[in-house]
Amino acid sequence: MSTAKRKQSFVYDSQSFYDEMFDSYGGVRSHYQSIHSQFAQMSPANQAARSKALQQRMIEEGITFTLYRQNQSEPLERTIPFDYIPRVIAAKEWDVVDRGLRQRVQALNAFIHDIYHNQNIIKDGVIPRRLIVSNTYYRPEMVSLDVPGGVYITASGIDLIRDDKGEYFVLEDNLRSPSGFSYLFKGRALMRELFHDLYLKNSVVEIERSLNAFLSSLRSIAPNGKKDPVIALLSPGSYNSAYFEHTFLAQQMGIYLVEGRDLVYKDHKIYIRSLDGLRQVDVIYRRIDDDFLDPLAFNPNSMLGVPGLMNAYRAGNVAIANAPGTGVADDKAVYAYVPDMIRYYLHEEPILNNVPTYILDRKEDREYVLDHLSELVVKETSLSGGYGMLIGPAASEEEIAQFRQAIQENPSRYVAQKTMKLSTAPIMNDGVMAPRHIDLRGFVLKGTETHVIPGGLTRVALVEGSLVVNSSQGGGVKDTWVLK
Amino acid sequence: MLNRTAEALFWIGRYMERAENHARLIDVYYHLQQDEFMSSIQLAENQHNDKWQRMVEALGSKASFEQAYGQYSEQTVLVYITLDRDNPNSLVSCISHARNNLRTLREQAPTELWEVLNSFYLWLREQSSDGLLKESPHQFLSQIKNWCHMFYGCMHSVMPRQNEWNFMECGRYLERAENTLRILNAVPRDITGGISGGSYLYLQAVLRSMSGYQAFRRIYADSISVERILEFVILGTSFPRSVHFAFHKLIEHIRSLELHDKQLKIAHDRIYRQISKLSAELDCIEIGDLTCERKDELTLSLLQSCSWIGNELGKTFFLVGEVSA
Repeated sequence: MSTAKRKQSFVYDSQSFYDEMFDSYGGVRSHYQSIHSQFAQMSPANQAARSKALQQRMIEEGITFTLYRQNQSEPLERTIPFDYIPRVIAAKEWDVVDRGLRQRVQALNAFIHDIYHNQNIIKDGVIPRRLIVSNTYYRPEMVSLDVPGGVYITASGIDLIRDDKGEYFVLEDNLRSPSGFSYLFKGRALMRELFHDLYLKNSVVEIERSLNAFLSSLRSIAPNGKKDPVIALLSPGSYNSAYFEHTFLAQQMGIYLVEGRDLVYKDHKIYIRSLDGLRQVDVIYRRIDDDFLDPLAFNPNSMLGVPGLMNAYRAGNVAIANAPGTGVADDKAVYAYVPDMIRYYLHEEPILNNVPTYILDRKEDREYVLDHLSELVVKETSLSGGYGMLIGPAASEEEIAQFRQAIQENPSRYVAQKTMKLSTAPIMNDGVMAPRHIDLRGFVLKGTETHVIPGGLTRVALVEGSLVVNSSQGGGVKDTWVLK
Repeated sequence: MLNRTAEALFWIGRYMERAENHARLIDVYYHLQQDEFMSSIQLAENQHNDKWQRMVEALGSKASFEQAYGQYSEQTVLVYITLDRDNPNSLVSCISHARNNLRTLREQAPTELWEVLNSFYLWLREQSSDGLLKESPHQFLSQIKNWCHMFYGCMHSVMPRQNEWNFMECGRYLERAENTLRILNAVPRDITGGISGGSYLYLQAVLRSMSGYQAFRRIYADSISVERILEFVILGTSFPRSVHFAFHKLIEHIRSLELHDKQLKIAHDRIYRQISKLSAELDCIEIGDLTCERKDELTLSLLQSCSWIGNELGKTFFLVGEVSA
């Protein structure tokens, strides 16, 4: 390849989107300068070799997730696609995101506490009562229960996107048991190992401390301030699609990895069954849904949980992270009220904005939405994962008509949002840089103190033009570098 | 250590041993000298498949094979034992089970051990039955043995000699004793006995499958007889694949378990005594009892002992039941 042609491989037209690396004139943004020039100087053979080594390491180490498909006896186990051009965030920019995430999680935590206690926010008319009582994730069992340290949301994943001007918006709050931590840490470890030259040339904020912070958060919620608490990660087992992550976190934090059958309830306490007899557990970091936690309290058919766990929890003998019932705050309809929550509980203006959202119960919102359906995204509030969604610009007239009718019949079941022009970042596609849409999952770890993992996890839609970053639908990840 | 972890380790030991044994067995049966074999027992072509039937029996999978394939033939048996995922004891299933068990305790096991087993599984998953049947399966089976050796080698060089190690080794040696016995049990008992009989040829194959042919030669020189081979494979004290050797190793590893829970210690003492008793009985077998005629009686009773040991270990260490606080 000639030099001119090679140079051409490292620019592209970012069209009308905000591109992380290139500005609208095609110039390289200042915080990407060093990375861009290093990639441009790396020979294609060198890149191919490193890319191959990267893939090989992921397979050997078993950094995989499992896809269960219908009509297939053998589940598909695959590595998560990892693109090796890091996403770079300038220090100043990250500072805003970091503060915004802390603020948001603090308000959400206060909201959950309020909802299970005095419900002041409802009494003061900020949020309609209907949103809570009709919420699938509302847990009456949690009412007036004081959780250890007042911490409901120990680990949260807040999904952020950037619009065509580069402004950050919160797309979704994941407050139940978000995953992705292991990809973030493993991705960094692989980059440091295989692209050490690149890594060393840029002063990147370390993420090593974050695993300690995770452990500290879990320790800090031990009941009665116990000094050396026994902590266990409760996993559904090796058939769970995120099992790699469970083993990774347990190993890195030095905590037990258990399944429901390893735990036993006795005298209002929870114990681990081991060859040394029973050992009392103080903190459970659970990676199973509320419904499956305790067959005596929730879904009676659950084989994954521990009968009696909620009793031990209510007796104050064990902490559960995240607390049961946190899902009440990550409902799509509740989402629309988070900026109001921030103002209500913290008396601050939100640092990170929501994607503009229309609440269809409000007459003026509804009228606007019905007039502009072809420009908007409509989501059903109780569903997630892209189900029950209308993407206006891509929808047929028939689909729009169906949604129009559904909204008119039951407006409170839906919210509508502006269609956002997701930002793009370059991926390496056969030795050529090409833009792909990305988002960012910001991780917040909250115990008695709050820690935001520097950078978080960048998810990337690997299919050209696609907006779906989900790993089960062709999404991949990138290492995310916050510069010092 | 969690009770579930102990169980997982035990089964990793068992599945890895099972995979290696199966690979050895198929390799040798496949190469049983067809001519010599055929003429000696004078079988017609349709009876030739008797060999494959015997092998499936030696693996303890007769009923499930017949249900899935019906007919015994070289092709069906080979596929069934190696790459058939629906056979819970095929090579690919054994390695997949072992890997899944190791996955559940990844945070406690040495990383290298996981990487070896994971690579083994990924390699095996890519193998196709076409490729296997086109060429002689010898190369494929040698590779299986090599992978198993790599796994043991890695275990030996990196694993701390603690309870984790002992549970894996318990599984391994119990499996080995059972496999050796099942292989012996599947050797046909013919009336003639002696050097020219079918038993003899099968037993020679058995020796080969255990890499015991040369060792046997060194001890017994040219006095090869059915009785001698049985003696060597069951009672041989220095032969690592003999029943005697496997029992002694099993006892050694059970004894080495370090336990602190009072009740568990009592149960542990009991199971240790009982297995020692079984082993002592094995040591007291008269050489005169090791005949072709009495072979089945003996192997069946020893197989029962093995399954009893497996149950006791399960009840003592793995069973997730009520444990005292």
